[in-house]
Amino acid sequence: MKSFTEHGRQKSTAGRDEAPDPIGISVFAARGRERVLRLAAEKPIHVGPALSVIDILAVLYTSVLRRRSREPHWPDRDRLLLSKGHGAYGLYAVLAEAGVLDADLAALPGHPADGIPGVEAATGALGHGLSLGCGMALGARLGGSPGRVIVVTGDGELDEGTNWEAAQFAAHHRLDNLVAVVDRNGLQQEGRTEHVLALEPLADKWRAFGWRVAHADGHDPAALHHTLSALLAAPGPGVLLARTVKGRGVSFIEDDARWHSGRLTPEQLDRALGELAAGAGTARGAEQEAPGRGPGEVSAGRDVRA
Amino acid sequence: MSGTARSMRAACAPVIAETVRRCPDLITLGADGQALFGTVIGESPERYVEVGIAESNLVGVAAGLARTGWRPVVGAMAPFLVRRAYEQLRLDVALPGLPVALLGVGGGLGYGALGPTHHAVDDIALMSALPHMGIYCPADAADAAHVLRHFLPPTRPAYVRLSARVDPPVFRPDGTAEPGDPHEVRVLRGGADALLLATGRCVAEASAAAERCAAHGLDVAVAAVTCLRPFPTDQVRALGENRPLVVTAAEELGHCGLGAAVAEALRGSGTPLLRLAVDDRHPPVGEHDELLAFHGVDRTAIESAVVRALIGKGDHEDSR
Repeated sequence: MKSFTEHGRQKSTAGRDEAPDPIGISVFAARGRERVLRLAAEKPIHVGPALSVIDILAVLYTSVLRRRSREPHWPDRDRLLLSKGHGAYGLYAVLAEAGVLDADLAALPGHPADGIPGVEAATGALGHGLSLGCGMALGARLGGSPGRVIVVTGDGELDEGTNWEAAQFAAHHRLDNLVAVVDRNGLQQEGRTEHVLALEPLADKWRAFGWRVAHADGHDPAALHHTLSALLAAPGPGVLLARTVKGRGVSFIEDDARWHSGRLTPEQLDRALGELAAGAGTARGAEQEAPGRGPGEVSAGRDVRA
Repeated sequence: MSGTARSMRAACAPVIAETVRRCPDLITLGADGQALFGTVIGESPERYVEVGIAESNLVGVAAGLARTGWRPVVGAMAPFLVRRAYEQLRLDVALPGLPVALLGVGGGLGYGALGPTHHAVDDIALMSALPHMGIYCPADAADAAHVLRHFLPPTRPAYVRLSARVDPPVFRPDGTAEPGDPHEVRVLRGGADALLLATGRCVAEASAAAERCAAHGLDVAVAAVTCLRPFPTDQVRALGENRPLVVTAAEELGHCGLGAAVAEALRGSGTPLLRLAVDDRHPPVGEHDELLAFHGVDRTAIESAVVRALIGKGDHEDSR
């Protein structure tokens, strides 16, 4: 097995079609979580959303995205947009672990901004990323580039109607090089997504819009890698509904909308880091939504209405 | 001249098509409105992206294309391009300063009897609030084509307000009165008694008003201001200061845009300034000309304002 260092730093320019190293990715993600928790002790941040999405971002940066660390603006790179920009510190932590970003993370803004290494576009006003991703995917295709685009959205973010304008566009223009990942933790600011504004049947909605749909445990590196690779290889736009736990990895933060944003006391930080070291985070909530499919399963066929 | 009158769309379409031929990185986008892009679609269909009736996504997609090296020319109905996509315009295009040309068809009151849903008297104000956003408000079809010849391919974000219908020509396309550099104030007519500064359709109204003022013995100058941002402040001040009267006329909200910019340019000069613009009243059902009259920015209103200011109300009314 490769060491973490090889994974995160020295191998960051490698091709991304090699077999993933789930244990190495888990270590990478754990170090990212530690960064997020330490930041959350410095100032209030969107800690729950960052811990929810960090495994997805870790898998993307370690085993999916094709990029060149010495040439960050390589025109044929894969592009990642964190449309749920409030997960910014999860992204910054992963970028730092991957050697893309060398900065005082606490000094960076609470939503990704232009000019930060690894940030392809400012996001965080919800409902922008998928439209931007559509333009990038189309731009790459029209320019003859093999570059692919991955847009990570929140689930509550899907309340914003522009996502569905973009979904319709992507299917109409058959954007094979576009994949969306929904961080389906089931919570938004004021509570359960199904209580605030019901999203289900979410997979059916994406299928009805002409997208290929896949499901995976959003904290399982092997499953994430497998399903993302399958979606990227398949025709048409694809969406991965990643079952996640908001605040994953710290028992008293997990699956609690009150930790959408917050600051850790020194005692809470100690306890959180202890749990992280012990790997004590539960999978509570990971099975709460999107029933019926096992991890890493891509739905057969593309349910496109002609 | 009236026989050659064209819509701004008809005048701009060949310029866009020519730029697509010349610039391999230019790409066009529309929202179920293709009048600007018909030639492009015929010649190079891959260089036109149809987004459907979804202006927010239209602007987001254009920003994504710009991020991958394309230079987008976006055309859509002004009220929806500006108001519906405003957050995308701000965050996705203006803040990063992407090279996107935004062509808004039907700015102002041009959609006439279609009603206030389709009017956009706030487009200039809203676009003025966006960082890095250039703003052009051409006076007629020839001016609009000239703006595009200067601006395309885009190197920065800019909004061009195009009219919905056929306007009275101000500049002659036959060379007798070339529009000139759209970033400059273009003096169309000299005159010592007053200066009319107008933008967009109101340039034609101001020119007609100046003709009528001559019948009152008033020698009134007219100048067209097409580029509203960056505003030609120094030139306006040089033209306007020491005048007995400066009048602005614009088909836009009165507390911003041309009138406000001219007021700022003339600040401290002591020059009397009258600002004619659109107010907040709900307009009646009416065609473009009628709505310009309702809001007091048509030729009759401009003439009245000048005559009242320089001769006095009673004299003016007696003279009619």
